[in-house]
Amino acid sequence: MYVAEVVEEHHDRPERKRRLGILFWICVGWIGLNIIGAIFANVLPLENPLFQNYTAVNAGPSLHHLFGTDDLGRDIFARIVYGSRVSIEVSLGAMLIGFGLGAPLGMLAAYRRGKFDSILTAVMYVFLAFPAIIATIAVLSFWTPRSLLKIIIVVGIASVPLVYRVIRSATMNFASRDFVIAAKVQGATDRRILVKELLPNIAPVGVSFLLIGIATVVTLEGALAFLGLSVNPPTPSWGNMINESLSILQVNPWLAIFPSLAMCLFLLSLNFIGDRLRAHFEVSEAKL
Amino acid sequence: MSDATTLLVVKDLATTFATPQGPLPAVGGVSFTLNENETLGIVGESGSGKTVLSRTIMGLQPRRNVEVSGSVLLNGFEVVGASEQAKRAIWGLEVAMVFQDPMTSLNPVMRVGKQIDEILRVRLGMDRHAAKARAIELLELVGIPSPAERYSVYPGELSGGMRQRVVIATALAGSPKLLLADEPTTGLDVTIQAQILNLLQSVKDRMSMSVVLVTHDLGVVATRTSRIIVMYAGRIVEMGSTRDVFARHRMPYTRALLEGSPKVSNPSHTRLLAIPGRPPNLLSLPRGCAFAPRCSFATDICRNERPELEPSLEDGHTFACWNPLPVSQGVPA
Amino acid sequence: MLVGIVFIISVGAFYLIHLLPGDPAAVILGTGDTTENRARLFKELGLNKPILEQYFVWIKNVLRGNLGTSFISQTSVWSTIKAALPIDVEIIVLSQILAFAVAIPTAMISARKPDGPLDRLLGATSFTLLSIPSFVIIVLLVLFIAIKLGVPHTGVSSYVSLGQDWVVNLESLALPSFTLALGSFVVYYRVLRSDLIATLQEEYITMARSKGISQRRIMWRHAFRPSSVALLGTAGVNIGGLLAGGFIVQYLLSIPGLGYTLIQSIGLSDYLVVQGIVLVVSVGVILINFAFDLIINIVDPRISRE
Repeated sequence: MYVAEVVEEHHDRPERKRRLGILFWICVGWIGLNIIGAIFANVLPLENPLFQNYTAVNAGPSLHHLFGTDDLGRDIFARIVYGSRVSIEVSLGAMLIGFGLGAPLGMLAAYRRGKFDSILTAVMYVFLAFPAIIATIAVLSFWTPRSLLKIIIVVGIASVPLVYRVIRSATMNFASRDFVIAAKVQGATDRRILVKELLPNIAPVGVSFLLIGIATVVTLEGALAFLGLSVNPPTPSWGNMINESLSILQVNPWLAIFPSLAMCLFLLSLNFIGDRLRAHFEVSEAKL
Repeated sequence: MSDATTLLVVKDLATTFATPQGPLPAVGGVSFTLNENETLGIVGESGSGKTVLSRTIMGLQPRRNVEVSGSVLLNGFEVVGASEQAKRAIWGLEVAMVFQDPMTSLNPVMRVGKQIDEILRVRLGMDRHAAKARAIELLELVGIPSPAERYSVYPGELSGGMRQRVVIATALAGSPKLLLADEPTTGLDVTIQAQILNLLQSVKDRMSMSVVLVTHDLGVVATRTSRIIVMYAGRIVEMGSTRDVFARHRMPYTRALLEGSPKVSNPSHTRLLAIPGRPPNLLSLPRGCAFAPRCSFATDICRNERPELEPSLEDGHTFACWNPLPVSQGVPA
Repeated sequence: MLVGIVFIISVGAFYLIHLLPGDPAAVILGTGDTTENRARLFKELGLNKPILEQYFVWIKNVLRGNLGTSFISQTSVWSTIKAALPIDVEIIVLSQILAFAVAIPTAMISARKPDGPLDRLLGATSFTLLSIPSFVIIVLLVLFIAIKLGVPHTGVSSYVSLGQDWVVNLESLALPSFTLALGSFVVYYRVLRSDLIATLQEEYITMARSKGISQRRIMWRHAFRPSSVALLGTAGVNIGGLLAGGFIVQYLLSIPGLGYTLIQSIGLSDYLVVQGIVLVVSVGVILINFAFDLIINIVDPRISRE
């Protein structure tokens, strides 16, 4: 609006990066806490998550059982901490596969263009048109016996076309710009250009999408658990616990509340971090 | 001139923007009057505050982070400090504005005719058919061929000049007494510019309006205005009848402006004299006269004390300068 | 091109299902699962022919409007879909009406005073809702309703179609519609708010102001239409997604919609039903996208001109 023009005419605008803020770091801390909890669950002073104590079934929170127990007398708090392992492993693992395959392909296709790009992109778009959720469910239904690894692989592969599309379009945005042409003219090798020039510019979009991906996979694990397609019981996972809570809601609200809280706080933190980073690096949401 | 009815009285008008870098005085201490059926030109470079001035006069300045002080009496209505609701009563019906860029001042998803007759339907309560008829009349008035068909087109289907005519028609729909034209021809083809300006003039006569023409181009105001205000750094530095300002100006900035504009009478290949230096940063205005850093006549007092407007020889001609040009020197218009 | 996509999806669906180690024969035969019975069943169902041939048989039938008969349930696939589809449609319609009804006014309120107290509150609320998965919402809602209000939670039996008893119908679909509406609301609110804020900065809005037009009229008549393009685009994608992915909500609440049926069929290795549903859903998504493209063109004539 013209006000901005008026103001701009009268001073040099210093590039002010929006400060990340304290809430941002709190969220980072929370995610970190979850990760630490997941890694060091074994050595933390937790109850045994698998031990079924029939004398304390569906107990409410107490000093002994911080979050209470479920209908088999297992400590909810411990199961939540161990359960975070599943969420974190699945999301990180799947993203590793998705980005490990999708990102290089996307960058190469956008950089090289030509036949390679046309064919690959067409293939990817076909995969994108197919409802991935349904395919994931179908595959996981039949690929028994189920294991965490299989879930990671299936979800990871399902995410490749999405990652491919995002990275490719982000790369195309930059690949035609002057600084890339300048580097080419100076005789830089393709590899150098990809790594030194394009990668740093794509990184904000990539990281942003990575965070969204992690959040999506954590949610997906929950959904799969409701279909009985997450990790097998008695392994605790957030999704499994929420699922189990449905049938005993009247008796034990804690099994529903605490794992839900854990999952939601985790997702909230992820989303907030992603949002702040986007504002900081000015990534347009439309590109995602 | 003293017999004419006063339409607009501006007194000590000042508009300050609150920016993260501090207060920005876009307009400071402007006072003038405008009579009915007069055409006033406001001239200045970009950043001189002329656009902000025109919007503040109308009360259209943004609502947040802006402070306005002083007084603007439009037909007895005090604009400064009036509520948005009160201002809406006069907008369109007493005062209207023609905006600079016809590409952005028309709603791209609304048909042209609907934008013109909106004020008739919504504010004057005309029914659809009467409003449409009047809108078509207005389209014809502003010189758009086949007005009945053009009623239903979208702005995107019209050329720049046509769009600006539509903007003018929209502004005229409420039959305002005062028309503020903010750089109405900037961005248009030179040939179209003359057409639009002529249109404004003829419309003004037909509808007995006063017009304020804001522009950076002296050529535009030379023959079409009866009085001129020259602005610099948000303040008036010279004001008077067009003839006086052109022929007997006192402020060196006015001289520099005049010399900088191309004139047909000059021999070909005459260098356009650009004023050295840049317009001042309003966030940190120098003490004293704002033009001093670029003025070849500047002396110590110019740098230390800001000159107030004082009268020149002719009636109604004022200027603000410590070292004014002698009266006899003038550049032929 | 659209036809091509549907075609490819049909191939994909077909192959995917058949590649999976599911065993419809085991389901059908149950205890009578002997080698000869199997062989006979396969021959009967045409499952012993090469895959490619099976595919062509299927596609030929589809093009003639025949989606086949499920070997598990012995009912025609089409009738199964026909029974389930209206439920999805109704849930989607209800949830979208709710989502838009709330998102549009709130976005307008926010856009009028960006970063004001109301805007911040709405922003924080929508952000929080964004982070709550749909199944969590359902669990918490059921918890609230079951415990606080003592209402038992709904099941398959409680759903009746609109024609029979519209009160019960709405009751049974209220929960899933509300849940989906929440998710949609968040997205629509954010998109519309950001577009409105951008549009309100445009010069033509100032010009409209200068005509003395009221705030409300400016918002609805001048600002809304140009800002609704992104909203419509998002809605198209979102609704398509709900059609394909709204199953979790259905499954949790045992609402016999398309999603629920799909999950069941996968579990039963009911190939034909799965293929049929995937095909119908894909066609549906494409049609929806197409419809929304049309609407967008009407709303914003600039797009077709560009």
